[in-house]
Amino acid sequence: MLKYLAKRMAQSILTLFIIITIVFSLLRLMPDEGYLGAAAEKMSTEQQEVYLTNLGLRDPLLVQLKNFYVNLFQGDLGESITYRTDVPVVDIIADKMIYSILFGLGAVVLSLLVGVPLGILMAQFKGRWLDRLGTGYIVIIVAVPAMVYFLMIQMYISSWIGLPMLFDEYNPKSFILPLICMALGPIASYAMWMRRYMVDELNKDYIKLARAKGVTERTIMFRHVMRNAFIPMAQYLPATILFTITGSIYIESLFSIPGMGGLLVDAIQRQDNNVVQGLVLVFSSLGIIGLILGDLLMAIVDPRIKLGKGDSVR
Amino acid sequence: MKKYLLVLACMFALVLAACSDDSADSGTAGDSGKPQEYRTVYSGEIKTLNYLKTSETNEFAVAANLVDGLIEYDEYGIVKPGLATEWEHNDDASVWTFKIREGAKWVDHEGKEVADVVAQDFVDGLNYVLDAKNESSTAWIATVVKNGDAFYNGEVTDFQQVGVKALDDYTLEYTLEGSTPYFLSMLNYVCFFPVNGAFLAETGEAFGTTRENFLYNGSYILDKFEPQNERVLVKNKTYWDKDNVKIDRIRYKYNKEAATVAPELFLRGEIDGASIPTSILDEWLKAEDKKDVVRQNTNNFYTYFYALNFDPQFDAEFAPENWKVAVNNKDFRKSLFHGLDRISAMLTMEPYNPENLISNTITPKNFVDVAGVDYTLLAPLKAISENDSFNKELAAQHKEAAMKALEGKVTFPVKVVLPYNSGSPEWANRSQVVEQQLENLLGKDYIDVELYAGPATGFLGEVRRPGKFSMIEANWGPDFADPSTYTDPFTVGGTYNKPELAEGYNAEYDKLVEAAKVEVEPAKRYELFAKAEAFLIEEAFVIPYAVGGGGYVASKLNPFESQYSPFGVTSEKFKGQSILEKPMSNEEYESAKEAWEKERAEALANASK
Repeated sequence: MLKYLAKRMAQSILTLFIIITIVFSLLRLMPDEGYLGAAAEKMSTEQQEVYLTNLGLRDPLLVQLKNFYVNLFQGDLGESITYRTDVPVVDIIADKMIYSILFGLGAVVLSLLVGVPLGILMAQFKGRWLDRLGTGYIVIIVAVPAMVYFLMIQMYISSWIGLPMLFDEYNPKSFILPLICMALGPIASYAMWMRRYMVDELNKDYIKLARAKGVTERTIMFRHVMRNAFIPMAQYLPATILFTITGSIYIESLFSIPGMGGLLVDAIQRQDNNVVQGLVLVFSSLGIIGLILGDLLMAIVDPRIKLGKGDSVR
Repeated sequence: MKKYLLVLACMFALVLAACSDDSADSGTAGDSGKPQEYRTVYSGEIKTLNYLKTSETNEFAVAANLVDGLIEYDEYGIVKPGLATEWEHNDDASVWTFKIREGAKWVDHEGKEVADVVAQDFVDGLNYVLDAKNESSTAWIATVVKNGDAFYNGEVTDFQQVGVKALDDYTLEYTLEGSTPYFLSMLNYVCFFPVNGAFLAETGEAFGTTRENFLYNGSYILDKFEPQNERVLVKNKTYWDKDNVKIDRIRYKYNKEAATVAPELFLRGEIDGASIPTSILDEWLKAEDKKDVVRQNTNNFYTYFYALNFDPQFDAEFAPENWKVAVNNKDFRKSLFHGLDRISAMLTMEPYNPENLISNTITPKNFVDVAGVDYTLLAPLKAISENDSFNKELAAQHKEAAMKALEGKVTFPVKVVLPYNSGSPEWANRSQVVEQQLENLLGKDYIDVELYAGPATGFLGEVRRPGKFSMIEANWGPDFADPSTYTDPFTVGGTYNKPELAEGYNAEYDKLVEAAKVEVEPAKRYELFAKAEAFLIEEAFVIPYAVGGGGYVASKLNPFESQYSPFGVTSEKFKGQSILEKPMSNEEYESAKEAWEKERAEALANASK
């Protein structure tokens, strides 16, 4: 187990290093105009050169890269250039992460609380009205572009049930709509997968045997079917939870939530190299950690899996 | 399983409880004696409070309300004392002396007094701006001061040699590179704003990153500054002119989709000002409950024009050499000049009152004046200002003359490369309209307009500056109160269309501009500039098109109460404005505008006496 973890960690660090170096180099290909903003039109060429030299953008790429890694090992991701001038990147990311984690976790919990039971009930009453209703809901959520129903919820449903349109941290009511919006999609997908795995499980021989032996339907459902059906879901759970940190771009911008959603896009648009590098580092780390945790969790819930021999469960 | 879910549910409840803490802000509308509060949503976040660094309009808008400069303007655009109470200059306007207002205070984010505002603060501010390592993006304006550019480039290292001195605590002297009669208007820029040197040294790189790392001497203090969330300004109780500050609180809520949600929030009474995009304007103008709350927005002083390129560098497949020969023929240029239907192009942006934004000159009207007579109405510019350039008959005549003159020298149809920024759908639409309109009017036997979608980022550096166009829609904003500010794009060294390369040109425009620049007496000076601009347009090196701004808003502010200044930052001040009981309708706006224009002409005439 430990050996397996050590090996996975080494691979991860190498992957991170490659990703960061590529992104770092690509950022240096951006046009100079983006760093100058509105002043580009008015500065003389000499003044522009002085300005860009002071930003360190005229050093050779390898020197810039070396400086970046030296600072990184001291835990310094640098300061923002054009997104929030002179503010440490770590502070920017930390401030915003709190909001995204809050809403993300809330949405994950809400969607598990609603989605998983919905999937179970749909499997249990397969073909009946509840199953049809659930399927209808899933089809709508998958087929209609999310932006459309988010906007509908914000514009119409908010006034219909008297909830604020925009998030305000001092008003608990303003948490409700964004949370619901964030959970709508995951509820559908949890319900859909849960139902599928349950139905698969219900058709297996050992269930038929248990029924023949006279085990109660309740015991079959909760002791056998649910547990086995939940295993494939468990694998992606850590990644799902971790990725709540990155925030939901559209919901956060619609409801004015000051989270991480869209931060990467903003930083790229504003050519803020330091913020982009910091975010890429955070996001890639999250992805890698999520995958490792998923594997571990699988090993825990499914005793048949042994890590280290065949390595990854995938 | 149940147990786990219960734990998760409890955690969730805790999290929710934790965020609804009650350290909420006070002074909301529910208070008795209701303070005036202005609320709005915005989508363009500011990146810094450091006014000595920024050159972005939305950052000026914040800084202007937190820090005062030496001068400001009244609602008609006449200079008023700010932190300077009086001033004088020598004969050629190259040395300016200011008396600083005594008793003005620097306060911290809690409104506690920190220091007096003194002359040295203006020296410290300029020192910071001109120090290249501080990466100020308005340093280029400050180079009007003697040795400013040399200090920025590192040729001069002793700031004592730069032309700004505190003669004593309340006397400030600027020595400029040369005669600058319009210097007073340049002081409306943030690079000439004061800063408390001791505080700046103490905060270092962190200056202006938070509301705590900032000192205030203006009409407002930042009560809250959370980027991508909210910004709240409250009235500064120690402000020297606090009686003229009528709005007590200004609340900006960030929303990335502000354009979409603002109209709805306005209808619900949750905000007091919103832009109304053209996509929903029709519905608003027809609905009983909405038509009286929407009005036109004021124009700004960005000038838009189509520039014809004399140094084409685009791909060989579009025959740049062919274009070069054609564009050097005046009749060919005039055929485009009179052939362009600017109204139909403007309809892509402003379907209701397109003529409101059309401009016949490069310098917009109401920019500067001579004794109440607007600059654009000075001869010989007057004839151009008063006539629409679009004229089918003239376009046809010039086309004929050009075809005759260019026969055998040019391959017809001439390919006209017309680029646009692919990041702007409006610009893309407009380019298509221009293509069809010009080709239909002048004939495909004569021109073939080739649209080219330029990159959304770095458009200017990729397309305009390298000259990859035949004709391009471009713009320019003014930097001070003098017509010379609108000549920069077209004089030698400009990065627009290089008219100096036109055949038989003999640096004519540059000579006219130089002659105007050395004239100190305003009336004579403006006349010379008017002559230069008339030449530029008459030769059809450019086709004046429009001014910026416009659009529609629903707002409880009266735009004619705000400080009027076509450049710099004072027009962004809330000082002097109050919140209306109900939003202005378009009829009210029109009549208020008419009254304002009349009053302004009188005020200007009085001021010049």
